[in-house]
Amino acid sequence: MNSIIIDGLSFALPLFIIAIGGIYSERSGITNLALEGLLGFGAFTGGLTAAIIYEYSSIGGTASMYIALIAALFGGMVYAMLHALLCIRFKANQVISGVVINILATALTAFLTNQINASLFGRASNRFVLEVSPRFSIPLISEIPFIGAFFTSIYPFEIIILIVAAIMWYVLEKTPYGLRLRAAGDNPQAVDAAGANVSAIRFSAVMVSGALSGLGGMCFAYSISSNVSPSIFSGYGYLSIAAFIFGNWKIGPTFWACILFGFARSAGYSLVNVLALPSAYSDLVLTLPYIITVILLIFVSRANRAPKSLGEVYDKGKR
Amino acid sequence: MKHEGYKKAVVRMLGPGRTQYLRVSLFCIVISLIAGSVLLALLGKNPLEGYVSILQGAGFLPKARYAGHRSMFTDFMSLVNYTTPMIFASLSFAVAMRCGIFNINISGMMLFSGFIASITVGYSSIPAPFAQILVVLIGVISGALSGALVGWLKHRFNANEVVISIMFNYIVSYVISFFIQTMFVDPTTRQSVRVGDNAMLTGVDTMVGDLRMDISYVFPLAVLAVVLIGFMFSKTRIGFELKAVGMNHNASRYAGIRIGRSVIFSMALSGILAGLAGVSYYMGTFGSIQPRVIPTLGFDSIAVALLGNNSPIGCLLASFLVMTISNGTTYMSSRLGVLREIASLITGILLLFSACGGAFKALADRYKEELKSENKKGGSR
Repeated sequence: MNSIIIDGLSFALPLFIIAIGGIYSERSGITNLALEGLLGFGAFTGGLTAAIIYEYSSIGGTASMYIALIAALFGGMVYAMLHALLCIRFKANQVISGVVINILATALTAFLTNQINASLFGRASNRFVLEVSPRFSIPLISEIPFIGAFFTSIYPFEIIILIVAAIMWYVLEKTPYGLRLRAAGDNPQAVDAAGANVSAIRFSAVMVSGALSGLGGMCFAYSISSNVSPSIFSGYGYLSIAAFIFGNWKIGPTFWACILFGFARSAGYSLVNVLALPSAYSDLVLTLPYIITVILLIFVSRANRAPKSLGEVYDKGKR
Repeated sequence: MKHEGYKKAVVRMLGPGRTQYLRVSLFCIVISLIAGSVLLALLGKNPLEGYVSILQGAGFLPKARYAGHRSMFTDFMSLVNYTTPMIFASLSFAVAMRCGIFNINISGMMLFSGFIASITVGYSSIPAPFAQILVVLIGVISGALSGALVGWLKHRFNANEVVISIMFNYIVSYVISFFIQTMFVDPTTRQSVRVGDNAMLTGVDTMVGDLRMDISYVFPLAVLAVVLIGFMFSKTRIGFELKAVGMNHNASRYAGIRIGRSVIFSMALSGILAGLAGVSYYMGTFGSIQPRVIPTLGFDSIAVALLGNNSPIGCLLASFLVMTISNGTTYMSSRLGVLREIASLITGILLLFSACGGAFKALADRYKEELKSENKKGGSR
């Protein structure tokens, strides 16, 4: 039971922060299928940074982890500018741009990882190995049965994610910038008339989504595999898209959607463990979050309300 | 005006006219080839040599040496073999896109039809021509069903087809992986057991004269599909209705077109093509299925269709171009000693620029307008 909560949280929270990125982008009116590519590229930057630190400096484990997380944040942000450029400046179809960004991210990270490993570190490898992230338990509270599991063997990044998520919620819902961002997704002409720059708002929103995706991708790299390899592209970005569409493009409900995905997954895994099934059965279990998504999507879709101008290129002359 | 010459050049090259789409596409290709050259030059390789060896690897130029029973023609035949699934897949995307549906489920549909065909006909002892016909039929049916399902969910429940499709991709991939690993796994390759030669849609290593080549039996079917889809969109009522729905839902409903029927029909058709892509991929080029792997070809085909401007003939040409690059780069990487991953990178760059095609077109159109108004001003003075 405890492991369901512990593993569920460590999967759900990175998913959550990526989904918040998606919410920022989509609430501003830019469809963002690129989350998958953004998180992968962010993780690549973080992994590269960690590898360089490990090889060339004396900075140890935990500090290098924080630096890698920050690097991933910036890597995702810079790469997201490509999506923003295509969608806003070049007025490309936003869905297609997202797909292309994902394809390019897979190709680019695979190529660069191999090339850098060969020429900088002199080894043939398609991955950057990370140091194992430390975990901690909060004393006393973690002793409480059941509830204590929420405070046991926490990754440091889970705390970071919760703090960042709270800040992002505040910015989106309570600040003038957040108001303009949300308006840009519903009625960009009104935002323009009020004197704000729609393109700039959307550009910054996509950059935020890149930064958060990069952060989330690096967290996945630390929690799931302790390395950055092509397997980072295994659909978590798409899963987080499903999460925020479920959450009706709102941060609060999206949190619960992510928790649901995380717990469905970890519960499935521990079911396979408890029943001592062969490992092939974990494949069936892994479909759980996806099946839940499809079923719930069928039920909630009628009530769903996407941002009104989502996916539309902003045209000043349109009424 | 300072930039007038530059604007005139852009308008002449990319401006409005009969061949505008073709010229814009060619422009995107040229830019990405230049970007690829820069990349090769950065790696310290000669770009020209790189591109020549891509063409050599794809069978358009003769290589210096060939192994026994091989020649430029056998290389070209294997390019055709690899391209066939891509033609089907990009057509599949184009058909749905014309109706305004974004089918990102192609990979999953390919996997589904390939798997069904493998376990039913692939592991049976039905004699050759019947088995192959059955495989094609199974591809068509399983594709049509899965496509119609997505179309129905979208129409009936207003479910976001992109998310539904992505979820289906993963569900199909994991469930099939489960069945392969529990029932059909080949212990040495860790993939599904290879299907019998009787069911293969490609004649692998067939001797023709002195040459040993891979002959794709379904390539003619792919060309036929290009012609038929082209005919459907340009000459038939249902094709016109699909396009109308894709352009404006409300106007089509007002004109009396049944939206639901169009959406489900176009998704079923898209599914049929994806199913054909699946059987020609899994039972043509490969012969077995790797568990837990979604074919990236299904995603690449999206961008290929985009490069071909969602027109059937454009899909055919773009498929050949992209597969030439990805096939030929394997040879280039061994010739020049660069990493194999550069193949997908160059393809990715090509897709990136083709996504900007619309912007180049819009830019040229705008310049044309500006030049026109400037001329008018000059005339009135």
